[in-house]
Amino acid sequence: MADVLQLRDLSLAYAATLVLDSVNLTVAEGEVLALLGPSGSGKSTLLNAVAGFLPLRSGEILLRQRQVATASSAEPPEKREIALVFQDYGLWPHLTALDTVAYPLRRRGVRRDLARSEAQQLLDRLGVGQLAGRKPAQLSGGEQQRVGLARAMARQAALYLFDEPTAHLDAQVRDVFLAELAARRRELGAAAIYATHDAAEALGLADRVAVLVGGRVIQVGTPQEVYAQPVNMAAARLTGPVSLLAGSDVSVLVRPDWAKLGGDRTGIVADVWFRGSHTDYVLDTPDGQLQLRAVGLPAHGRGEEVSWSLHHSWTLPGD
Amino acid sequence: MRSGLARSALALLLVCVAVVVVIPVLVLVRTSWVEGRGRLAEVITDPGFRSAVANSFGLSAAVTGLAVPVGVAIALALRDPRLPGRNFWQAAVLLPVLVPDFVLAYSWLRAYARAGLTSEAFGFAWPQVQGPLGVTVIVASQAVPLVYLITAVGLSTRAEPTTERAARASGARPLTVLRTVTLPLLGPAIATATVIIFVLTLGTFAVPQVIGAPAGFRTITTRIYADLALGSDPQSFVEAITLAVLLVVITVIVVAPADRLLGGRLSLSRTPARDSDWGTGSRATRILIPIVLGLYLIFTCGLPLMALVSAAFTRAVGVPLSLGNWTLDNFLAVLTPRTGQALGRSLLLAVAAGSILLVLGGCTAALSRTRSGRAVSVLVALTLVLPGSVLAIGLLIGYGRWLADTVLIILLAYLAKLWALAHRPISAAVDRLAPAGLQAARASGAGLPTALATVVVPLLRPALIAAWGLCFLTALHEVTMSSLLYGPGTETLAVVVLNSADLGRIGVTAALSVLVTVVVLVPGGALWMLRRRSRHG
Repeated sequence: MADVLQLRDLSLAYAATLVLDSVNLTVAEGEVLALLGPSGSGKSTLLNAVAGFLPLRSGEILLRQRQVATASSAEPPEKREIALVFQDYGLWPHLTALDTVAYPLRRRGVRRDLARSEAQQLLDRLGVGQLAGRKPAQLSGGEQQRVGLARAMARQAALYLFDEPTAHLDAQVRDVFLAELAARRRELGAAAIYATHDAAEALGLADRVAVLVGGRVIQVGTPQEVYAQPVNMAAARLTGPVSLLAGSDVSVLVRPDWAKLGGDRTGIVADVWFRGSHTDYVLDTPDGQLQLRAVGLPAHGRGEEVSWSLHHSWTLPGD
Repeated sequence: MRSGLARSALALLLVCVAVVVVIPVLVLVRTSWVEGRGRLAEVITDPGFRSAVANSFGLSAAVTGLAVPVGVAIALALRDPRLPGRNFWQAAVLLPVLVPDFVLAYSWLRAYARAGLTSEAFGFAWPQVQGPLGVTVIVASQAVPLVYLITAVGLSTRAEPTTERAARASGARPLTVLRTVTLPLLGPAIATATVIIFVLTLGTFAVPQVIGAPAGFRTITTRIYADLALGSDPQSFVEAITLAVLLVVITVIVVAPADRLLGGRLSLSRTPARDSDWGTGSRATRILIPIVLGLYLIFTCGLPLMALVSAAFTRAVGVPLSLGNWTLDNFLAVLTPRTGQALGRSLLLAVAAGSILLVLGGCTAALSRTRSGRAVSVLVALTLVLPGSVLAIGLLIGYGRWLADTVLIILLAYLAKLWALAHRPISAAVDRLAPAGLQAARASGAGLPTALATVVVPLLRPALIAAWGLCFLTALHEVTMSSLLYGPGTETLAVVVLNSADLGRIGVTAALSVLVTVVVLVPGGALWMLRRRSRHG
């Protein structure tokens, strides 16, 4: 499949501080790439560079095989086939939801009445059609973000950029929004980059995950790969809970679901966390502290000695 | 808190508002009714009266039409964080308001009129500067910083950078973004600026007096001054109070529909640039903007102030600017006991006004959540747009019997006129205080006084310094009310300069103007540094 986006040796700096360091990434047609990193790792910067809001220090950006930015030249944002969904929604306080969604259509030269009826359809599809006449101040966070998503869909872009769109939504609204997003994704079939610091979102939503730390992409792979075979401790911590156990000659990484109660090894329960669908234990073992996940209700208390075993582990490359 | 203390503070506010604002205005209206009924027809049909009214309207419209677009353009131009020397330009464009208006007007004459600096240096004179055109341009140049500030606040509070990025990402070109997003979002700020500039220009006095009056261009305010200062017949008095009442009526008519706009508090503090605040300007505009701004500032301030200084240091008008013609005679002529006393009086008045207003403004801000407190703050906001001439005449009629020709009546006028200047920064800062901060201090074991002293006052300190400084500096500038209220032995420094300009003593007036500017700029600079330190420290 052809690549919608190619980033080649992309570097970017604010004054003397390098914010992105030789980033190489591709996004294929119809693919969702999650950009997973802690805050300050350069996720927003990367999206804004792709959108055309930031000048590059070096490297190049290709959209649909066409060069749109280098260190010396840059196509303006409105010329690039991208759409953006913002963390803080980026809605215009003076425009109604309907006019907001019609805005990209109008910029494409669509007649006002056609643009409005198309915008109404988009709002309807996202379940906020009845709010078309409201301005942002009269909408809840979840509603605002749906309007933002409808506006992005109206752009009919080659590449959709999501900048932590759920950061300001509370858990329940967030799940609804994500379900919506997954459904639209199948419909649109368009490529997207989804920036987030939340491992569960990244792993659940994306075809591939790029792990960004300190402005560098340290690993790219399928969600299963980055979860099961992290390249280093930082990548491992970003992609989910993890324990480091001392082995006979090298240390091994263990995810909570790779260990189970019962078996030939022993440990003392240091902590118990009942999560509803399962229970997390923290065990003090001779090889270090271990997180272990078990189905069902808590069966052991703090200070109790339990037996456990590993059915999988991962050795960091180079160790 | 909701105790006797709050109640007595409220009582103090109500008494003060009544004394300095409500009673004078009511007395003025009543007097115009009683005294004016018989002579009103005569006064209104007088061609001088009519031309003054027409001139005031024309001037206000022209100044607004000129200053609003320029101020908005400057605010938009200075938004790009990648603009070289942005902090410098943000401060530099405020310079015209730091120079007292009568000094700036006088400086323009020395720079551009016949026998002025440009005529001496380049053989270029602009005689129209002395007349309506000059008045318009000078008043506009002092209005531009205000429009700039209001627009800049509007930009930082309403036009978030993401709203513009969203428009670009939706396919809009930069000019389309300006038209469809930025300017509509700035609508309220621009409307506020328009109303404020129009009303403030109606009440402006010094520039029309220094530049317009000698050329026969009379506005409502300068005619009031002429009526009261020079006229001695009852007819003049009736005309003055009629004009004053007319000013009140016009102001109310213009402001009342815009009350909603003025109600929104404008804090004049600069918001720190966020790292998401990426500029979109091109390299060419980043080179062009400083050049245009530099030329603009040289034209409005640089050349005039240079001309003023050179006039102060030269022997006579029109002599070449050579070393041999330099002299300190003008300054020696100025350094009389009378000038010294006027300077002392001005400083004393300014310090007294600033300090009293800090208390009044603080009380108004603290009580603005109660209903009567809100009523007081609305009245206080109105005084900002009520022309100084009106307040001065009201005070004169109301308290002249006891206080005429005393410093006290001038102080009352300053309190009435500058209250809003003290109130606004403080109340904006009070609004920004998170109640959780005070609660957290109490929950950490601090008593109310300790909590106030440790977590509230430090946060308010920049605002308190700003409020005191604004009142102090504006009081030093003040000439509209002072020139109507002074008597023998109570001239302020500004009045001395104005009278000297009226007498046509060029070198001496220039020397006095330099003195006034230094007196204003030195404490102004010191206060600015203090405020910066209290903000960052």
